[in-house]
Amino acid sequence: MENQKVKKINLVYLLSYIFAPIIICAICFTLSAKFFPAGNMAVILIMGPSILSFVWWVFAGNFLYKRAQKRLEKELDESGFVKNYIFYGAGWTVAVDIENGKIAMVSFWNPSVSYVLPADRITKTWVDDGKSGFGIFEGSGRVSFLFMIDDVKIRVNTFTSNTRFRMDSEYILTGISKADMMVEVLENARKKVK
Amino acid sequence: MGFIRNIRSVFHDDWCRECKSEMEVKNKKLYALPMMVGHYVSHTDPEYYIKNVTPVNRKAEIPTGQYACGVIAYRCPECLHEAVKLSVFLPVRDVEKYEDAFLFENGEVDSLIK
Repeated sequence: MENQKVKKINLVYLLSYIFAPIIICAICFTLSAKFFPAGNMAVILIMGPSILSFVWWVFAGNFLYKRAQKRLEKELDESGFVKNYIFYGAGWTVAVDIENGKIAMVSFWNPSVSYVLPADRITKTWVDDGKSGFGIFEGSGRVSFLFMIDDVKIRVNTFTSNTRFRMDSEYILTGISKADMMVEVLENARKKVK
Repeated sequence: MGFIRNIRSVFHDDWCRECKSEMEVKNKKLYALPMMVGHYVSHTDPEYYIKNVTPVNRKAEIPTGQYACGVIAYRCPECLHEAVKLSVFLPVRDVEKYEDAFLFENGEVDSLIK
């Protein structure tokens, strides 16, 4: 488990997340066109998969990710992992055990696998405040902390928005503070192993 | 003149509420609050601060992501009225992100400034 290679995206999951509802809809629409051109069965075959696809795309990702987070926490509690810090990002959940120098992670796009790794596998940590523009146009729409595990770059957003905010706005400052804190925590865990 | 001064005093926490004069800073203290970024809860009860703050000498001593609390004691040179301003902020690099500020005029948090 400690030598696991970190995989950010499970390609099968990603493709089935996007295309499975489309394939099911196509099959149902074809069946309806061929065998049930009218009547209740046609309505069921057209409306059913359409509604289910919408529900799947809107809610399934978060539902599966939340379940993965709960599973990760349960696994950590059972294994004696001390959750000094746990950060629930939209793309990654990262837990850090400073006392034993370990980190645990689960990804939104790979929810079936939880990673528990020694913190010395982190080779680099840094904060990206997303600052761009200059003068009165200087601002950011994303703040994140990043770390490299072996050769894999993990980006965890502490703030995201489709609007740009000034660098001294409360949202950006809160995001920077969270990112700075997590980088410090990861570095402390890494030092503990060394 | 007095009317304008009354209006101006509304915008200055460090002006005396009794005689509207500018108060002088008597003492300053800095404390760390046991709250981390993303988990801030506003407390208006002065007892909370008396029981939970930890004194620090410099802002650099406050761990990253932890809230701080600045306490400033004011005294009016004209009428000798005293007040203590308690401001809660999150130190972020070289910036301070303010959350709350309270003015105590009846000695509620005097133990923090001694």
